[in-house]
Amino acid sequence: MKWNSIRTKVLAALAACLLAGVTGTLILLHYSFVRNSEALASESVNSAQRLFRILEARETSKMAAVADTLVMNPEVRDAFAAKDRSRLLKVTAPLYLKLKEQGITNWLFHTPEPDMSVFLRLHAPAKFGDRLDRFMDREVLRTHSLVVGNELAKAGFAVRIIRPFYDSHGQLTGYVEFGEEIGRFIHEMKSQTGDDYGLLLSKRFVSRQFWTDTNASLKRRDNWSDHPNFVVADNTSATDNIIQFQGDLAMLAKQGTALERFNVGNSVFVRGIFPIFDAANHAAGAMFVVRDISGTYLAMRNTQNLLVLLSVVSLLLGALLVLTLLNRLVFRRLEHIIGVATRVVGGDYESEILVGSRDEIGRFEQLFEQFRCVFVDLLANVPEFQERK
Amino acid sequence: MSVLYELRGLIEQKIKADGLDDVQIKGEIGLRSGRLISLISPRTPDDPLAIAKLRQAVKEVLKISL
Repeated sequence: MKWNSIRTKVLAALAACLLAGVTGTLILLHYSFVRNSEALASESVNSAQRLFRILEARETSKMAAVADTLVMNPEVRDAFAAKDRSRLLKVTAPLYLKLKEQGITNWLFHTPEPDMSVFLRLHAPAKFGDRLDRFMDREVLRTHSLVVGNELAKAGFAVRIIRPFYDSHGQLTGYVEFGEEIGRFIHEMKSQTGDDYGLLLSKRFVSRQFWTDTNASLKRRDNWSDHPNFVVADNTSATDNIIQFQGDLAMLAKQGTALERFNVGNSVFVRGIFPIFDAANHAAGAMFVVRDISGTYLAMRNTQNLLVLLSVVSLLLGALLVLTLLNRLVFRRLEHIIGVATRVVGGDYESEILVGSRDEIGRFEQLFEQFRCVFVDLLANVPEFQERK
Repeated sequence: MSVLYELRGLIEQKIKADGLDDVQIKGEIGLRSGRLISLISPRTPDDPLAIAKLRQAVKEVLKISL
């Protein structure tokens, strides 16, 4: 291979084009994948948030409907009005078992103001008489109407409803409250979407002692020290390793944040997080979302390989076509001119240059043929040439 | 007889001995040396530069030193 030949230069240019084409394709596809994974992470956060709100709305509607029905139940109404705890427990306990199957884990009756203490806990009947004084309690006292919201209490982070309770004469006899653990939601969300979720609680709203007691009662590891700003209350994954977040839950954007992409073995995941606000509108918790995008990644890799292959094949075909054309239109005809010129100088004055076309090389062929004729004519007048004849 | 003519003779002998294409070889040597081999006659005056160019062209084309 001659390094200074046009053929080599064209080949080098085509190889550079091939390299640039493949590199460009790879860069473009990588950029596209990064954008797609970011979009998937955002989508996983948005869809998780949407699903969470749907579940929240569904469960609060269910609890509100149960509370409304309960107010109309004369047995319950009379027992509560009479402040007969054992009778109230007796008439409500069978219903509580059924509601518990539906996910309603907390059911409380509260006495009316001014003290508003717990009159009966269906989920812990032996424990009563304490004052909770939570934001939702203050709200129901203030509004005397249904209050809905998430509240972090000793029983955990739960979506709750609390409403006034009246006797048969319409007199306020207290309040009834239902609650459902938000931790339960993430398992339902996983079964619907296949994504993994983690429920995080801000340490600002959880006391260290409460967390120790909760873990002891649930017989699970005390994970208080795992993260600086929050604790993992529940998780659909086998381990807490998927939860990688160092920020402050209070600083999270309301619409959530897509976090980074990461790999575990051959699988590719994206993660994101969105805040969960309590009834007082504090970001008391957050939901961590992890979506497996291996399928998308694999499809992208297949597309990438296909595009690279297509680029290489098309550029090789292009190179072959260009070289064939150059050979036919330029190189072969130049070699013919060189051959004729050499033979004329060597003494074959009859060799002619055939003009193949009227293109640029054709004009050169014509010029060279004219030059050959002049040369031979000139030679005919040289004495040595005449002697040779 | 000039040196140039002697060289012409040696070139023709070599071409004949090796069965080479007479016109092609003379053409290549002629183009490299800048001289038409067939026009070199016994009376062609010797020119040191022309002799050197012809020897160099022979060396390049026929790979021999004359």
